[in-house]
Amino acid sequence: MSRSDDPILVDRLSKTYKVPEREGGFGAALRGFFRRKYNDVRAVQEVSFQIGTGEIVGFLGPNGAGKTTTLKMLAGLLHPTAGTARVLGCIPWERRAGFLRSITLVMGQRNRLAWDIPAVDSFLLYQAVYRLSDADYTSTLKELDELLELGPLMRKPVRNLSLGERMKCELAAALLHRPKVLFLDEPTIGLDISSQARIRAFLKEYNRRTGATILLTSHYMADVTALCERIIIIHHGRLKYDGGLTELSRRIAPFKIIGVDLIDNAEADLSVYGTLVNGGEGGKRQVQVRADQVAQITAAMLANLPVLDLTVEDPPIEVVIERAFQE
Amino acid sequence: MFKIIARMWQVNWALQWQYRANLLMYVLYGLVSPVVFLSVWRSVAAAQGQVAGLTVNDFTVYYLALLIIENLTGEISIWVLAYKVQDGTLSGELLLPVHPVLTNTLMNNLANKALTFVVLLPVWGLLYLLFRPDFSSITAASLLLTIPAVLLGFLINFLLGAMITCASFWTTQVYSLSEFLFGFQLLLGGIFVPLTLLPAVAQKIAFVLPFHLFLYFPVQLVLGRLTPEQILWNFALQGLWLLLTALGFRWIWSAGLKRYSAVGA
Repeated sequence: MSRSDDPILVDRLSKTYKVPEREGGFGAALRGFFRRKYNDVRAVQEVSFQIGTGEIVGFLGPNGAGKTTTLKMLAGLLHPTAGTARVLGCIPWERRAGFLRSITLVMGQRNRLAWDIPAVDSFLLYQAVYRLSDADYTSTLKELDELLELGPLMRKPVRNLSLGERMKCELAAALLHRPKVLFLDEPTIGLDISSQARIRAFLKEYNRRTGATILLTSHYMADVTALCERIIIIHHGRLKYDGGLTELSRRIAPFKIIGVDLIDNAEADLSVYGTLVNGGEGGKRQVQVRADQVAQITAAMLANLPVLDLTVEDPPIEVVIERAFQE
Repeated sequence: MFKIIARMWQVNWALQWQYRANLLMYVLYGLVSPVVFLSVWRSVAAAQGQVAGLTVNDFTVYYLALLIIENLTGEISIWVLAYKVQDGTLSGELLLPVHPVLTNTLMNNLANKALTFVVLLPVWGLLYLLFRPDFSSITAASLLLTIPAVLLGFLINFLLGAMITCASFWTTQVYSLSEFLFGFQLLLGGIFVPLTLLPAVAQKIAFVLPFHLFLYFPVQLVLGRLTPEQILWNFALQGLWLLLTALGFRWIWSAGLKRYSAVGA
């Protein structure tokens, strides 16, 4: 599966930050002034992976796992402490113009757009910076406008936009030059459900139309399940898992959730069938059972209980990922 | 490249107008020290007839020319760039395939300069009417020669400022460093006093350091007070300092980027 002409090649990439550290209080502050103590924070440790053309890969891990640091290295913002990476054949932190013209990095909160002027003014600046012809610029902007429904948003000063509106304009600014590789750090953070869904649909469509390679981090599992067939998990800076989402589910959480509604809400002890789980929809009671025992247990339930309705589901992806982090 | 510069100008010009009240304050603040020095030296010269050969009119034309030159060659990189390094907003600019300092920060400086003139010129006009100085020493030749001197002087000052700003990759105390540098400009650039009034040793130091190259030298040049040898020597010195600051900036910028931790962004 992995080939040397893949757009993203990462080989034992590591980044260690030196962080000044001191106790609280005046005395400690004074001591810190004269003799500063530094702590090595190993944000990323020997991470290796490859991503092929057109793949959308979810990059997951708890806060502080090293996801953003890795993305910043791959986008050329940070120099690694050790290891190497190639993105579209270039070493990112050399920051060659050709490389920068082919990639983009979207960081949830941060703005490419000048705060006090309408987004369209910043777009025009990017047209010049990325050397886009008038024809290319107009057609790409039209396409982005149609996909993201930018409309009049582009002509309002950016500071007067809501978070969701701003995010849409940020995405448009980041994609005007039709990058071949997209690094997205929490592209849907802080957005309402419908904006999240719209941005997800947009990314999928962008990937389909342009064949762009996308590496994205998100804390919203809906982003991951909607977009990514493959995920990479890192924790404490180390790579923990690299593979398919369904495969992870099978490996980490080889169980299913059976939900039952009993006629007239009859009392029954469900714990004999499996582990009780809270949070079924519509008052449905749930038990967790091993995947290979589902048939046997549902048969027993149907035979012994006054069952009104019965469902069998995969465990929620949040649970799977959380377990993967803990392993 | 021209299109990039033009669009950067449009954006920065628009942004400068957003902060016009702020700018007015800065311009007025910037006027205080030259106007104070002008008044002080005028009264001293008036009381004594002249100071080391300089008359009341000499001081007046010197400081009025300095007001213009100071704005033409002045630079504000530290105020528009250092915080971006410290809070990580530089990241957005680093993703673009152009040099952030040599495009955006530079245009930011020029837009600020242009807008500053909108405020400065009327004030300058008032001062002119008040003192009625005799500018007859200015000739077409001295004016023409001042154009490249101002241009080179600005570039040297800009690169010096950008280098100091790059210290923010290492320390958060970069503003005090810049104040320190401004102290040198005040004393050795010719703001506090025309340099020929400094003690001989201080003059020797001042004339090899770069500060007079973007203040005292263009002022004296436009006022027609330099010999051809002095003009040639100072242009050569400008060339040398431009080379040194350009190399220095290139080195400190790439070393700084290796340290850049893109905090928060």
